[in-house]
Formats: sequence, structure tokens, C-alpha cells
Amino acid sequence: MKVSLNWIKDFVDIDTTKEPQKLADLITVRTAEVEEVADLAGNFKNMVVGKIEKIGPHPDADKLQVTQTNVGGKTLQIVCGASNIYEGMLAPVAMSGAMVRWHGEGDPVELKPTKLRGVLSDGMLCAGEEIGVESKIDGIYDLTGVGFKEGTALSKVFSKDDVVIEIDNKSLTHRPDLWGHYGIAREIAAITGKPLKKMDLSKVKFPSSGESPKIEVKNFDLCPRYCGVIITGIVVKESPDWLKERLMAIGYRPISNIVDITNYVMAELGQPLHAFDKNYIKGWIIVRNAEKGEKITTLDGQERKLDEKTLLIADHEKAVAIAGIMGSENSEINDGTTEIIIESANFNPESIRKSSTRLGLRTEAVQRFEKSLDPVLAETAMRRTCQLILEVCPGAKIAGPFTDVNQGLPKPLKVDLDVQKVSSKIGVSISLEEAQKMLESLDFETVKKSEKILTVKIPSFRATKDVSIEDDLVEEITRLYGYENIDPTLPDLPIIVPMRNKERTLKHEVRKQLAFVFGMTEIYNYSFYGKDEMTKALIEDKDHIELQNYLSQDQTHLRTTLVPNMLKNIVSNLRFYEDIKIFEIGRTYREIGQYFPLEEKWIGGAIAHKKNQKMSPFYEAKSIVTEFLKQFFKCEVEISEQSKAPSYAHPSRCAKIKYQGQVIGNVFEVHPLVLSNFEIQAATAMFELNFTKMCSFDENFVKYSQIPKFPGIEIDVSVVIDSTKKVAELEKAIMKADENLIKRVRLFDIYEGENVGQGEKALAFRVLLQAIERTLTDEEMAKIQQKIFANLQKLGGTIRGI
Amino acid sequence: MEKQLNLLKVQCLESISKINNLHDLQELEVRYVGRKGELTMILRGVKDLSADQRPLIGQLGNQVKNELDAAFAARKLDLEKQDIAKKLHDPMFDVTAPGPEIGRGHIHPLSQVQQEVEEIFNSMGFAVMDGPEVESEYYNFEGLNIPGWHPARDMQDTFFIKGKEDKKHGRMVLRTHTSPVQVRTMEKFGAPLRVIVPGRTFRYEATDASHDTTFYQVEGLLIDKDISISHLKGVIKEFLTRLFKKEVSVRFRPGYFPFVEPGLEVDFSCLICGGKGCRVCKHTGWVEFLGAGMVHENVLKAGGIDPKEWQGWAFGFGLTRLAMMRHGIDDIRLLSGGDLRFINQF
Repeated sequence: MKVSLNWIKDFVDIDTTKEPQKLADLITVRTAEVEEVADLAGNFKNMVVGKIEKIGPHPDADKLQVTQTNVGGKTLQIVCGASNIYEGMLAPVAMSGAMVRWHGEGDPVELKPTKLRGVLSDGMLCAGEEIGVESKIDGIYDLTGVGFKEGTALSKVFSKDDVVIEIDNKSLTHRPDLWGHYGIAREIAAITGKPLKKMDLSKVKFPSSGESPKIEVKNFDLCPRYCGVIITGIVVKESPDWLKERLMAIGYRPISNIVDITNYVMAELGQPLHAFDKNYIKGWIIVRNAEKGEKITTLDGQERKLDEKTLLIADHEKAVAIAGIMGSENSEINDGTTEIIIESANFNPESIRKSSTRLGLRTEAVQRFEKSLDPVLAETAMRRTCQLILEVCPGAKIAGPFTDVNQGLPKPLKVDLDVQKVSSKIGVSISLEEAQKMLESLDFETVKKSEKILTVKIPSFRATKDVSIEDDLVEEITRLYGYENIDPTLPDLPIIVPMRNKERTLKHEVRKQLAFVFGMTEIYNYSFYGKDEMTKALIEDKDHIELQNYLSQDQTHLRTTLVPNMLKNIVSNLRFYEDIKIFEIGRTYREIGQYFPLEEKWIGGAIAHKKNQKMSPFYEAKSIVTEFLKQFFKCEVEISEQSKAPSYAHPSRCAKIKYQGQVIGNVFEVHPLVLSNFEIQAATAMFELNFTKMCSFDENFVKYSQIPKFPGIEIDVSVVIDSTKKVAELEKAIMKADENLIKRVRLFDIYEGENVGQGEKALAFRVLLQAIERTLTDEEMAKIQQKIFANLQKLGGTIRGI
Repeated sequence: MEKQLNLLKVQCLESISKINNLHDLQELEVRYVGRKGELTMILRGVKDLSADQRPLIGQLGNQVKNELDAAFAARKLDLEKQDIAKKLHDPMFDVTAPGPEIGRGHIHPLSQVQQEVEEIFNSMGFAVMDGPEVESEYYNFEGLNIPGWHPARDMQDTFFIKGKEDKKHGRMVLRTHTSPVQVRTMEKFGAPLRVIVPGRTFRYEATDASHDTTFYQVEGLLIDKDISISHLKGVIKEFLTRLFKKEVSVRFRPGYFPFVEPGLEVDFSCLICGGKGCRVCKHTGWVEFLGAGMVHENVLKAGGIDPKEWQGWAFGFGLTRLAMMRHGIDDIRLLSGGDLRFINQF
């Protein structure tokens, strides 16, 4: 919201010539954030009235003329292209250093002496639009006869000696009283300690008889108060300059005197008003809910369809305004208007806000009504409006007493304030007298109830949804005391060891492992994907949570797996990298038929190699998972064939990972169709681990086992066998030869090729035999070896080398 | 024989001094003092000597042997040293050539900042809490004193979930802030409380370099007896000073958030210009950082805590913003983009 400091000066004495920034800073730390301080005079820097003393032709250009222009004390040579200049003319001159808009367009640029077709031009004669001033003539603005001498600053000529500050609307959300200049002035008075010059409306007299508007309110919930008055003898015309200037300073476009005055009062008091042309009101004013499907054409020319929840201002024939939002064309003030009805009402904030949202129509009035306006203000604003109309329209007359429809105004609210509590919450000792003084400066009335308790009467303009409890008063006292005056201290609390968040702690640990031990890089993805990603990854949309409002097609569903987005990461990074190893720790969201979905944290990993490798990346992924989980659980996990591979996994190249009998994830090659859908041209393996589940197990410590004192013997076994036989099965068969003495079986070579038959492979295992308490004998070793051979042969294998 | 021995000694010592490699030295050693060496040969004649000569010559023989052994050992050490010294001068070795590539992984900058924040607050006795990202309207708004009609809802453009509505919980939303965990934590643990909640939050907001649908926040909550704004100032100042590893000052000013009263905005002194004013702080010397305030009694009540007995404050700040400021990241979208050219820098 823009605030003119000249306007503020009507109500409180502030010195704006000296550092308005200081005042703005004070408002920021005491009341609400000031976002900008604009010195309107600043726009006229280095601009003065100049007198064109001599005009001569330009030697090289027909359309240009060379002038000698007196700018008060010195004469500048200025080249000008406009045809309306004449000797003796007074005109705006921008001198070197001024900021001007060329031909009124684009950003202002700094003016410098320059040569125009070889002739020096030390300044510029300006048209209205070039200096941001409205002008009715083409060409250079003519100031002759306006009453200013050459050398006068242009800011003075155009009365632009105002400073406008802009306050962040968000920080005024809870302060309906600050949505007008008067409220801001009251606040400035309190924070600067200066007196407020109260608005005196006692001179506005309403006749005791005469014509009053008849008003019928059908729904007091939505319209607690409606004041109306009739004014006759109106002549609609342009507003006087002072009025226009104030409105323009805060960004309002002047329209006509009556409309401008209602806007002026809104900007001054924060109360939106509406003026109807009385001749267009048939019967009397009725405040009622719209009928279903009822239509109205609002002032912006749009026809709008209404519903029963929307409150209307109507007469006996038609709707004339959407209450508190916007008036209708059918009763608007026009050039021929002579009699008006002024509406100054109070509407239910919730209803206004909802209607405005439904209609998609946000106006200055909505912004104010939705904040909960003080019902008392309706009458004040109506009086102020009458005062201004009488002042601006000399023939205007109040036709009769004003009408005030309400079901009683709210009783003043009283709140007890415990000064000890205040001190405890601020962390600074505040005395009862100090609290009293501060609150009274903000127009709160206080009565001492006891040594420590004040009874505080809330002024009506702060009582609507703003101040209602003790803590609200604590805020008033704190901000007046000054947040900057509160010293930072640390609370005097007992030392506690905070509860451990196992998942969080482990998450950070896991990141370090995956990144620094296994060389994977952590990426973050969005929690969403879209239909396209789901189709590509062969995922069905069952179990998905869907967004009602979304911003793009790839963010419509909440992910149930990290895979699709990670595949997208692979594609985009393959443009720059040959080999990719990434992981993500993130949540998945799954519909489980209850209100809240199931949120789980998962670890996703992906490995992709552009160049062909000897081994499938599956094995690389499997090795990482094995080592990583061994470190995580401090014992081995079981990785075995997965018969229920997820849709995006290669169905026969997917293994499930089990810990303590529970499946905690999968490691797999990505389904070839999925790879081609995502246009990934690289061998890609992934793993998915349910981190939430991983964290649900009790944590282990490594159990030490004795270091053998006697040496073991390693024997190598090489077997040729059917290619479909699995390593795990062979390992088991070897193990079975002697489960006590065989300590480890490790595959160290796989061979497929011309040296073995087709459909066969050669596997070489290294088997460690060891006994804790003795050295093994050759006979024992030979016996076990034979048993191993026999077990493998039973599976159809041929032992090599015997 | 005595002469023979002395001559041998002189010859041998001279030869040793002339040798300049270990191999020749070893050969020489074999020749003179080896099992079949010259010294042995000479000493074989001792048995033929007279009984009074024998011990004298024997003694001399041993003496010569010891002397020569020592000389060989000394020379050997010498030559070994020379050898190493030679190896030390190796102009062919190129330290500028690269070694084999050892890839290292990278941890996302947001994770790094988050862990640091958690550790700092942990050390001040704050526990780390968690809550759902898909949240009910109740916990996200009503429980925080933001009823449906409230203009404050405008500040938080919200993602809604399709077809999810419940009498108690209202519609389902993606949490717009980490604040819903306030009421959840109060319900679960009661007072006193000292927690922070870092987490992912969402806004239905058009995306550009400084706005994204997804970002990270950190919520803080301290409920106890006699907890004041002064303590909030102290804790925040301590936190920032630790995080930025230099003294940081903070500025409190009034702000409005329905779930706190009084409500505050907290700025910290610009780290780029030290408070003098620069582009980063928009020439104010302050960087807007955090929303905070004393927890509203309605929120305490919603969490089942008696506001007459307990009081405290809450704050919330953007972890994403913090990470961006710290690393000078100028586009928020990089953080969720998965571009390794970006993440590999951290």
C-alpha cells in the first residue's frame, strides 16, 4: 500500500524534508515493513523552468532549431526539434544529470551534453510525457503565464514535493486500521511520540428532516451495518488539483469528483464507499443474497453470474452492486448525475473473501473488507465523505438525516494484562506504568486493577480480529519498547541430551557411505511425476495420490517410487557423462485406503555405463548394495532371485534383498523397454531400498569371532555346467560337503565360450577349509574335495582337471 | 707369515677403497675373506707353525679378519647410500602426469546444510522431528490458527490432493510449511519441548529462478517456563554465528503470522557487505531470513498444552534459501534438477 507523507502531515507533524528513510526504517521496526521510499521530487532532479531567449536555425538540419535558454543565472544552448517553441516562452528544461524518458517511453535515462548534428546541446526542452506530467498539448510543455520565473525547480511547479512510501501489504494482514492514511498517521504519532491531530467532523451537519435513503438489510450476518445518505445538487466534473495530486501520488487514477472523493476517503480512512446515482435506484436499497444464476454487469464492463452465497446491493428491480466488491454500470455516477446515495457499510470479511475468490475479482475494497473493518468506521467515513463533497461541490446539499441500519454495534472489549507475564514473555522487565503509557499512546484505555494487572479497553478500530487476548497486548508493548532494545540471551534450561532421531542420523551416515565409499552422487528430485513418466516406466496409476491443482503435466501424481525421475536424471546426464552413479534418498507416497497415505523413505541408486562393459552393471549395483548393507546392518543380507520384479525391472535380472526374513528392496537391471522409452542408450542397473523399513530393525554391533590360530587350506574347484544353473545353488552344494570345515566359498571366474559346450559355462570356486583347533590333514582335505565333486556332479556338472 | 698377513691386509684395504659397486665388493669379499678366500688359505698354514708362534699368528689373523670385515661392512654401507642417492636424482619421473581416476561421489548441498543445522541445534538440546509431507488442512492451517477464510491463506498457495476430504481433517494438502509438525509434536510429547523440524515443503507457485514448487524449511519450537523473545534472539544469533562461522547480528521487527503472537520477522546483517549495504541486501544492510514469534495460545491449546502454564516461541526459515545464499546459487531449480555438472561442484 502506498502512503503519501504529505497526506500523513494532515494528521501528525513529521518532517519529511529530512531523511524520510529514517521514518520509513522506524515504521519497519515498529509497525510494518516499508518496502520502498520514493521521493517524487527526485524525479525532477536537475529540472527547472527555462526562458527561451533566442531561437536560431540549425545549420545542418531543417527540423531542428538552436535556442539560447535562460535557466536562472545562466544561459544554455539547447537544440530542440519541437515546432511549438517561441522566443519568450517558459518551458521545462532538463539539465545535465536529469533523468528523462525519451518521447515518454522506456526507462528514464540520464541526460548529458551532446552534439546534435554537430551543434552542442546542453540540456533538453521537455514535453509533458518526457517528465511524467500530464499534458494536453503536443510538443514542449508551455509554462508561460503559470506564474513561475526561470530557474524555479520543476518539483515546485508541479507540487511534486511529496515522498511516497510503500508498505508491504502482507505485513498489514492483521491490521485493518492501517489500510488508510489516518490509521498510519495514528501509528506514526504513537511511535514517534508526537500528538495526533484528530479528524474533526463535527462541522458536518445533517438536517434533522428531509429525505433519507430507505435501506433494508436482509442478512445482518453478512452486513452488520449499512449507513446511507442522500446528497443533492451535485455537478459531476473534474476534481480539483489537490485531490487529483494526492490520488495520483498513491497510484489512483482520477475519474471525477464524486468517485475521486469516495476513493480519497477509502485511502484516508480505510473504509471503502460506494456512490449510486439516485435516479437509477428504483424503490429502496435492499441488501440481500443473490438469487441462483442472477447476473450483474460490474463497473469493469464484465457480466458476472452469481450464486446464492454472494451478497448483493439491490433495488426493487435489479442488483446494483456486489456488496463490498464492485458496483454495477446500471447505477454508476455519470456526467449527468445530480443526486447521489452514498453507501458506507460494514460487510462480513469471510463472506467478502469467499465471494471475491469465487468471482476471481479482487479490488481495493475487497482487500480492506476481508481484513475485518471496524463497524464504527462506516459512520466516520460517511461524515468525512459528506464533508469533502460539500467542500468540492459548492451547490451540493445533504438531503436529510443519514440512515443507519444495524443490530447494535459490538460492545467494547476489555482484556486484563498481567505485567509480570508481559515481562516474562519479552524477557525485559516492564513496569505497570510503562505498559500503561505505551498502550495509551496507541489509544487503548487502561485502568489499574491491581499492582500487577491492568484492565485494558480495546479501541474499536483494533478490536476486529486484531487485538483480543493478552498476548496481542504483549505485542503492542514489545514493538513500542523496540525489538532492537531487547538483548539476546540464552535460556536458562537444564542440559538435556536430545532424543535421537534414528532415521535422520542414519540418513546422514548413509549419504556419506554412498558418496564417499561407493562413489555415488546424491541428487534431489521432485516428489511428483506425470502420466508420461508413468507410462514410460510401465507403472500403473493405482495406489497413486493425485494432485487436484498442478502446475505442469510432469507434476500431476505423487511418486510411489523414485525410479522414473532417476531415469530422467540418467538421460539428461548421459549427454555430459560416460558413466553415471547416482543415488537419492526421498519419500514415496502410497494410497492405502485411509485418509493419510503411506509415506516411506527410500534409497534409490542408479548406475549407467555408456560403453559396453564385460559384466552387467547389475553386478556392480549388487556389490554396492551388499557391502553397503553389511556396513549398515553390521551383518550380511540375503540377495536372492525375485519372482515378483517391479514393472520397470528386467524380469529375470532382478534380485530381492532380504534382511531378517523381510524384503527390504530390489536390485535390478532396468527393463529394456523402459530404457528405450526413456531413450537411455546405456546399460543401466538400479537398486531401491526401503529406508524406513531398514531403520525399523534393532541396531546391531559387530560380533567378534575368534581369529583362527591354525592355517586353513584353499582348494580350487572348476566345474562345467548348464548355463541356466545358478551360482547360489552350486555354492550351496559345495557348502553341503562339510558345513563345519568349509568356511567360505567364493566364485572367482565365469567362462562361457568356445572351450566349453554350447549352453554351458565354466565356473571356478575357491573354497576355504579351516578348523579352529587344529591343522587339517591331507586325508580330511581329500575327503571333502571328493564330496564337493560328487555334489556338483549330482547337479549335472563336470569337474575339470580330474 | 706375519708379513703375508700384513701384505694381504694392505692389498685388500686398497682394493676395497677402489671398488665402486656392490657387486664387485661382494666378489672381493669372497676372494679375500670368503670360506675359500686368500685369508683362509694363509691361515691354513698356522697348524704348521711352532707352538709359540701359533697363538701369535692366530691372534693377528683374527685381527686382520675383523679389520677387513669392518672395512667391507663400512664400504657396503657407503655404496648402498650412494646407490639410494643416485636413485633420488630421477629426472625421468613425472609428478605432473595424472594418476588413475578415482571417482568420488558428492553430497547434495541441501543435505550438507541440513546436517549442519541439525548438529548446531542438537548441541543446544533441540531434538530433530519429522512429520508427513502430505498433510491435512487441519494441521497445515486450522490447527495453526489459520481458519479457511483467513487472508493469510493467500500467502501460501496450496497444492490440494484429489478426492481426499475428511470431516475432522478437511481437505488434503501438500504441506506449505513445516509448521504443522508443531501441533503434531505437542500432541505427541506435550510440554516442555525443544525441537527443530527440517523438511520438504510445497507451494502452488509458478516456477522461476527464485521460486519453485518444492523447497526446504526448518521449523524450531521451544516450549518451557518463562521462555522469552530475548531467548529467541539469543538462540537465533548463536545459531547463525555458528553456521556462518563469524559474528552475525540479528534484527527483529514486527511481522504477522497467525500462529504466533507477538509475530516477528528476523533479518541478519548482510554477510557480503557487513551491513553497509550492497546489491545482495538491496542496500539495506539486512537480509530477510526468518519468521518467528511467541506461539499463539490457540496453537498451544490445539496441541493440548495449557498456555497458562507453558509459553515459548517458534520460528521457521528457508533451508533452500540458506543453501543458495551460502553457495551463491542463483537459480533454485538447480537444486531439484539432478544435473551432475551442478552437484559435482559440492
